[in-house]
Amino acid sequence: MKKIHIVGIVMIATAIFLLTTAIKDTTTYATFADAVESGSRVKIAGQLSKDKEMVYQPEVNPDLFTFFIKDKDGVERKVVLQAARPQDFEMSEQIVVTGEMKGDEFWASDMLLKCPSKYKDEEIYIRSEKES
Amino acid sequence: MDSIQYIGEHLWPGRIGHAAIMLGFVGAMLASIAYYFGTQKADTPDEGSWKRLGRAAFGLHGVSIFTVIGIIFYLMINKYYEYQYVQGHVSDDLPFRYVFAAFWEGQEGSFLLWMFWHVVLGFVLMRVGKKWEAPTMSVLALIQVLLNSMLLGIYIGFGDDPLKIGSNPTLLLREVMDAPIFSNADYLSLISGTGLNASLQNYWMTIHPPTLFLGFASTAIPFCYAVAGLWKGEHTAWLKPALPWALFSGAILGTGILMGSAWAYEALTFGGYWAWDPVENTSLVPWLILVAGVHTNLVAKSTNHSIRTTYIFYLLSFLLVLYSTFLTRSGILGETSVHAFTEMGLEWQLVVFQATFILIPLILMIRRYKSIPSPEKEEPTPSREFWMFIGSLVLLFSGLLITGSTSLPVFNKIVQYFDPIYEGRVITDPVEHFNKYQLWIAVFIGLLSGASQFLRYKGVNWASHKRKFLIHIAISLVGAAVLTFLTTLWVSTKNIPYLVLLFSGIFTVVANLDYLVSFLKGNLKLGGSTLSHIGFGLMIVGIIASGLNKRHISSNPFAMEGMIEGAEDDIAQKNIMLFKGNTMVMSGYEVTYVKDIVENRTRTYTVNYKRRGADGKVKEEFDLTPDILYDKNFTKVEVYNPSTKHYFGRDIFTSIRALPQIEIDAEFRKNREDSLNFKRYALPLKETYTFTDTIPIRDRDTFSLRTFTLQVDELVRSASHPDYTPEEGDVSLGARMRIRMSGDDSVYTAMPVMVLRGQLLYTYPVQIHEISSKVRLHQDVLNLVLTPEEELEYTEFKLRQGERFSLGDINFQFGGFNTKPTHPSYTAEEGDLAVGAMINIQLPSGEVTQAQPIYLIRENRPFNIKDELNVYGLHFRLTNIDPKEEKVSLMVAYKEPPRQNIPIEMATDSFRYDFLVLEAIEFPGINFFWLGSLLMMIGLGLSMWYRIKTMKASA
Repeated sequence: MKKIHIVGIVMIATAIFLLTTAIKDTTTYATFADAVESGSRVKIAGQLSKDKEMVYQPEVNPDLFTFFIKDKDGVERKVVLQAARPQDFEMSEQIVVTGEMKGDEFWASDMLLKCPSKYKDEEIYIRSEKES
Repeated sequence: MDSIQYIGEHLWPGRIGHAAIMLGFVGAMLASIAYYFGTQKADTPDEGSWKRLGRAAFGLHGVSIFTVIGIIFYLMINKYYEYQYVQGHVSDDLPFRYVFAAFWEGQEGSFLLWMFWHVVLGFVLMRVGKKWEAPTMSVLALIQVLLNSMLLGIYIGFGDDPLKIGSNPTLLLREVMDAPIFSNADYLSLISGTGLNASLQNYWMTIHPPTLFLGFASTAIPFCYAVAGLWKGEHTAWLKPALPWALFSGAILGTGILMGSAWAYEALTFGGYWAWDPVENTSLVPWLILVAGVHTNLVAKSTNHSIRTTYIFYLLSFLLVLYSTFLTRSGILGETSVHAFTEMGLEWQLVVFQATFILIPLILMIRRYKSIPSPEKEEPTPSREFWMFIGSLVLLFSGLLITGSTSLPVFNKIVQYFDPIYEGRVITDPVEHFNKYQLWIAVFIGLLSGASQFLRYKGVNWASHKRKFLIHIAISLVGAAVLTFLTTLWVSTKNIPYLVLLFSGIFTVVANLDYLVSFLKGNLKLGGSTLSHIGFGLMIVGIIASGLNKRHISSNPFAMEGMIEGAEDDIAQKNIMLFKGNTMVMSGYEVTYVKDIVENRTRTYTVNYKRRGADGKVKEEFDLTPDILYDKNFTKVEVYNPSTKHYFGRDIFTSIRALPQIEIDAEFRKNREDSLNFKRYALPLKETYTFTDTIPIRDRDTFSLRTFTLQVDELVRSASHPDYTPEEGDVSLGARMRIRMSGDDSVYTAMPVMVLRGQLLYTYPVQIHEISSKVRLHQDVLNLVLTPEEELEYTEFKLRQGERFSLGDINFQFGGFNTKPTHPSYTAEEGDLAVGAMINIQLPSGEVTQAQPIYLIRENRPFNIKDELNVYGLHFRLTNIDPKEEKVSLMVAYKEPPRQNIPIEMATDSFRYDFLVLEAIEFPGINFFWLGSLLMMIGLGLSMWYRIKTMKASA
C-alpha cells in the first residue's frame, strides 16, 4: 500500500466522520410545537402577524424587539428577538427565526427576513404617480 | 396592438443589438468548430486554414459581444425606457457613474460581462497559445456558445409552454409585458425607470463585479488547457503554459473575492467581512481548488507526479465556477443567501451548461486515463512534492466540505423530488458550522506551507540536507512559539484550537521569512510562493485578532447588572441608544450624538468618540459619520451606511441599527401626529400661564402629574423655522415662547410658526424632546395680524410733504418719500417705479412709531402695497401721487386692535424621537487580514510574472 493511499483513506474516514457529526449542525424548519418538544435551538419559518403588537423600545432595551409570528401550522407565538428592530420589518413576506422556546415565548438570537425583491418590480413606474 | 404607431420609440438599437447577439452566437459556434478541425487536422496542410477561420470567427464573435454591450450602454445612458433592461435598471435620477453598476446588476448584463472577459482572454490566448491555440480556443469558443445562448431569447415549440432559450436583453418593455398602458401610443411619456437598487449604488458595485468576473472567466483558461492536454494526449506539454494562467486566475479571483469582503465590511451593516454566505462560499471554493491545482502543477512540472490531480483540479475549478453560477442564478438558494439573483426561468439551461462541461472532460478523462504518466515509484516522504500534494488534497478536502454544506438546498431539492413530504434541512448556525471544520484545515495548511518550503523536490540528498532541514524547522518552531506567546498578550485566542491555529499561522510566517532570507537570499523574484504563504499566515493572525476579538464598544453597562428587562447574561448587548446632544460612556469611550444633517436624500449623523487618559485629558478623539438614504419621497429609508475609523492596529466600526419610527416612516409619522393629544391654551402676551397635565409614562399604564408654565414673549412677523422655506407673498407668524415643566429645572425656548400661503395654512410645530412635548400655533392666531379689508373704514387724506394730520386722537405726519422702499410683501423688479410714503405716528399714549405704504407702477399699471400696524389697529394705503400738486393720496383706517390672547396648542404626550440606536464594534488587527490576503494575491501575481519571464527566456 502506498502512503498516498493511507492519506486517502484517512481523509475519507475523516470526511465520513465529519459528515455524520455535521448532521447535528442542521435542522429542519420547525414549528412552535417542535420547538417545545425538542427543547433545543431550531429555525422557525413563519409569517408576521401584522395585527399583533410589535414592541421596540430602545430607551428600555435597544437589543430587544418583540412581535408575533404564525408558523406553518398556523400557531401564533410571541417572538423575543435579542437585537434591534430591522428596517423594512413589516414589509417581510417571510421570517426565519433561530432560537428556542422559553415558556410561551420563542427567544430568537437571529432572524432572516425575506422581503419582496428589490431587484424586480412587476409594476411599471408611472411618472405621474412617482412625482405625486 | 400591432396597429398602434408608438411615439418616440428608438427601435434601431434593439435591432442591431439582437442581430449582434445572434451573430455572436453563430460566430462562437463557427469558431469552436473551426478550431476543432484545426486541432484534429494538426500537422496537415489544412491546419492553417482552419485556424485562420477559427480566428476570424472568434473575432466576429468578439466584435458582436462588444457591440451588444455598447448598444446596451447606449440605451442606458440615453434612458430609453422602451427597453425592458433599461427600464428595470436605470432611472432618471441615477447618476452617470452608476451606469456600469446598473449594467451588470441584472443577470443578462452579468452574463455579458463574463463573456466580455472570455473574449478578451481569448484574444490574448490566440496570440500566445501557439500550438495550444486551436484546442484551447475550441473549448473556450464552446463555453461562449453556451453563455451566448443565455441571451438568445428564442422560443422553441408550440402551445402554452414553449421552451425558452435565453433571455434577450434588447427586448422592448411592451414585448415582455402585457399592460393596459401599451394601448396608449404615447406610453413612453408616461413611464420611467425603476432604477438601481439603492444598496447597490456605491463604487464597490462598480469595481467588484468586473474583477470577480475576470476571476471567474480566467478559471476557464486552465480548464481549456486541461481539456486540450487530454484531447491531444500530450499530458506534460500543457503544464508549463497553463501555469501562468492559473496563477493569474488565482490572483484575480482572489482579489475579486476580497473586494466583496471589503464591500461587506465597509458599506454593509452586518459588521464583518465574511459570513459563510452560500455565494461567498461558492466563489471561494473554485479559488481553493485552483490554488491546489497550481501546487500540483508545480509538482507535475518538476517531477511528473500529480499530473492526473492537476488535470482534475483545473477541470474542477471551472466546473465549480459553473456550479456557483447555477446556485446563485437558479433561485435554489432561496432564503439562505442575501446575494441570490432573481430567477430568469433558465434553470434547465444552466444545468445543460454544467452537464456539457462535466461530460466532455469526463469522457476524455476516461479514455486517456491510462495514458497519463504516473511514475511507478512513489514520492519520497521527505520530498517537497509529497507534502505539496498532501497540502493540495487538504485544500480539495476543504473545498468539498464547503461545497457539501452549501449544497444542502440542492440536496433537499433532489430528495424532495423523490419524496415530496421530505422537509429539507438547513444549517442552524452557518458561521459556527464552517469555522469548526475549516479551522483544522487552516492549521494543516499553515504548518505545511511553512515546513515544506525547506524540503527539496524528489528529496535529493536528503541524508545531507536533513540536518539543515531540522535546524530551520526548529528555528521556525521556536520563533513561532515566542511570537505566538507575544500575540496572546495582545489578543485572546479563547480556546486551544484557536491557539493552535494562531501558532500555525505564525509558524508559516516565520518559516517563510527564514526561507526567504536563508535559502533565497532575499531574492523576491523567486519568492512569490513565500510572499503568498506569509500572506496566508498574516491573514490567519488577522482573522483571530479581528474575528475572535471583535468587541462591542456599544455594550450597555446596565445589561450586565440585570437592570434591563429581558437582558440575558449569555447574550451580549450589542446596541446602545443615544439621545442627541447627550454623551454616553461605553467601554472607555465617551460617545456623543452631535448632530444630523439632511442633504438631498442623505441624512448624515455625526457621532463623536472621545477617550480620556488617567489625567482626564482627551487622548483620542474622532467623529464617525454613518448615514441613511431616504427613498425619493422621503417616506422610507432605503440604505443604512456604516462609518469606520481606521487605525493601524484596529478599526472602530459604527453603524446605525435603528432610528425612531417617526424619522424613517412617513405614514407612521402622520398617524403619530394625528394621535397626539393637543390641548388649546390662550396665552396673554408677555404673561406667564400655568396649567397641569397628566403625563403618560410610556407603556406602563401609569400617569404622573406635571405643571407646565408657558409664556409668549413676542409675536414675530416673517418668522423662521428649520422646516420652513419662505416664499414671496407668505404671511408668516411665529410666537417666541418659554416653557418650563415641574421637575425639570431648565427653561426651554421654542418658536412655533404659522404660515399663510395663498389660501393655504401651514403649521410648523416645535418638538421639545426633553419634556416630551410639542407646541404649535392655532390658526386663530392669524386674526391677530390679519384684519379683513371689508371691515375697515378708510379716510382719505391729500397731503404735502411734512404736512400733519390726525385721525381720532392719533396724530400723523407725512414725513416724505422713500424712493427705495422695503416692505415684507414687496420684492423689487426691473422696471419698477416704487415710492414709499414715510408716515410718522404719535399715539395717544405718547408712543411713537412709523409706517410706510408703497405706491408702485409695474408695467404701466399702478399698484398700492398696504402697510399695517396691527398692534395699534392702524392700516395705510398710498393710492395716488399727484406730481403737479406735489400731493399724495393717503388712505388711513383705524380699527380697535383685537384684545385676543395668543392661541397655543400643546401636546404633552409627544415622546422624544431625537435618538439613534448605535452599534459600535472594535476590530483589532483587522489590517493583518487585509495585508495578509493582499500579500497572497501579490505573491501569486509575482509568481505569474516570473513564470512568464522564464518561459520567454527558454523559448
